[in-house]
Amino acid sequence: MLVTYGQAIGDAIKEEMRKDDNVILYGEDVAQMGNIFGITKGILEEFGSDRVKNTPIVETAIIGSAIGAAVTGLRPCVELMYADFSLVAFNELFHCVGKWRYMHGPEFKLPLVVRSAMGSSFGAGAEHSNCLESLYMHATGLTIVSPSCAYDAKGLLKTAIRSDDPVLFFEHKQLYQTKENIPDEEYTIPFGVADIKREGTDVTVIAVGLMVKKTLEAAEILAKKGISIEVIDPRTLVPFDKETVFESVRKTHRAVVVEESNKTAGIGAELAAMLQEEMYDELDGPIVRVAALDVPLPYNIALEKYCIPDANKIVSAVESLF
Amino acid sequence: MAYSKDFLTELYKELVELRLFEEKLVEIYALGKVPGHIHSGVGQEATFVGTLATRKDGDYYKISHRPVGTAAIIGVPLNTVFSEIMGKRDGNSGGRGGVNHVALLSKGMLGFSGTLGSDMAVGVGAGLTIRKNKTDNLVYVYFGDGTANRGAVYEAINLAAAWKLPVLFICENNQFAISTHVSEASPVKNPGADRAAAYGIPSKIVDGTDVLDVYEGAKELAEYVRSGKGPAILEAKSYRWRGHFEGDQMKYRDASVTEEWMKKDSVEKMEKYLLENNFITENEITKIREEINVELDKAIEFAEASPATPAEEIYEYLYVK
Repeated sequence: MLVTYGQAIGDAIKEEMRKDDNVILYGEDVAQMGNIFGITKGILEEFGSDRVKNTPIVETAIIGSAIGAAVTGLRPCVELMYADFSLVAFNELFHCVGKWRYMHGPEFKLPLVVRSAMGSSFGAGAEHSNCLESLYMHATGLTIVSPSCAYDAKGLLKTAIRSDDPVLFFEHKQLYQTKENIPDEEYTIPFGVADIKREGTDVTVIAVGLMVKKTLEAAEILAKKGISIEVIDPRTLVPFDKETVFESVRKTHRAVVVEESNKTAGIGAELAAMLQEEMYDELDGPIVRVAALDVPLPYNIALEKYCIPDANKIVSAVESLF
Repeated sequence: MAYSKDFLTELYKELVELRLFEEKLVEIYALGKVPGHIHSGVGQEATFVGTLATRKDGDYYKISHRPVGTAAIIGVPLNTVFSEIMGKRDGNSGGRGGVNHVALLSKGMLGFSGTLGSDMAVGVGAGLTIRKNKTDNLVYVYFGDGTANRGAVYEAINLAAAWKLPVLFICENNQFAISTHVSEASPVKNPGADRAAAYGIPSKIVDGTDVLDVYEGAKELAEYVRSGKGPAILEAKSYRWRGHFEGDQMKYRDASVTEEWMKKDSVEKMEKYLLENNFITENEITKIREEINVELDKAIEFAEASPATPAEEIYEYLYVK
């Protein structure tokens, strides 16, 4: 069936709520309004107000209460409207969610999912546009999912809701309306399995979220120039599928990392460090990072565009390796 | 109010257990048997024993860092408690969490956050589970007068009140956030109870040095919370006898005030009450203390003999899978 990325996410929640009445949904404006992007529309009508609730503006308490609900037997799928707002609950996510089981012992399970909309969206400004996966990669005990298409979003969200470990699920705002044919029958996608979105032989390009789309655009341009890139979407940053990436680098001997967040201490920094530590002998050149400029994302559309990687910037980065 | 002898004796035993536990904790800390820092709750027993006297099976608890012996009152085996405190493999997390994270979920204990107040909403979340299970259980959420000022506390109580969840918030006002007196930190006299109006929920102030006064206040609010009307706040007035941590010189406060408060000893008060009413004899008191000390010593011995968690198990408990 043909669905948007947003519909795929809503469908995943509904399907899992039908299967298990311990799954509950709450967050700011998720009930009658169906969240500000319409992703959770219809869920209140189907499951009722005991299982679908609007919260006050209380990011801290949304995450804290999800821990308490999860350890006592519910499976909360909660929403923090914008990933930017997750920083209000950063303490709860970094110290509590990621460490609770470790600090208190094996009786404690945290089957909770935190969904957030992330990324640039044409003038949303410096506090409503961030991609923050790399901040959470630095934490412990979290699973970090960042899907780039409807198929992956649905299959990964279903796995997240069934997981007994806490999952941060980042949805890219610019992808909500992208359409794709996905199977009618049920499927899930395991964590820690990267997807090769396009096979290639000359350069391995690892891209995340919206940047997968941009990298696939770049691949078309590069193909015309005679450069074949292999586009790898890790899909989950934690756990990270090293093997798929390593296998690709053994073939191409060159790597580029593309992300939408700031360059400094970002996903690219981590992956570049990992590759040079573990794949040094396979590399024929430096690992190049394509990332946002280290400034708060400007409101002005032209400046915003200037900050964020696009197909042309990815093309230049790949070409710099030759 | 007439209490049965059994009830009073039980309260007394728990007071003594908590007192001796907290004293023992100071003792083994001084001997270098505990890593990190401890926060002795000596002198604050009545708040915990008095409120917990209203508990029933299926209730949940979010305790605080002081007094950690509350875990034993709730029912965590002493061997587990001391093993965790001493950082050993037989502790609930095998010594990964430590003294502030003594908790058994099977006893209803939800855990604790070292960034104080961030765990308040954890208790609120457990209220969602109680609501779903349609029981008359409640969640006991303890916090101090210092923690009361944090934003996370406001969010948690507000959410519990908006959703009318069965949570009894207990503000243990021992008057100090490390060195800062409550009068410096809070614009209201009662940082727990006075703020209940902001959430539209009931509150009560009790004497945290009198276990029966605490019990009566807790009973009234616990009945309200169990009836499904929503959360409530109990504030108990007490005083932190010792420093925030061991080695705290306490130069920030007047020692004579501390001495005055130490005269309001909840354990002594209860002892006097029981003796005067012929509910207990001196011999029985001696026996109770001896028995508890033996249990504590046995558990400490057990914990000392418990091995350290081996390095190869360092990643265990990070994920379920």
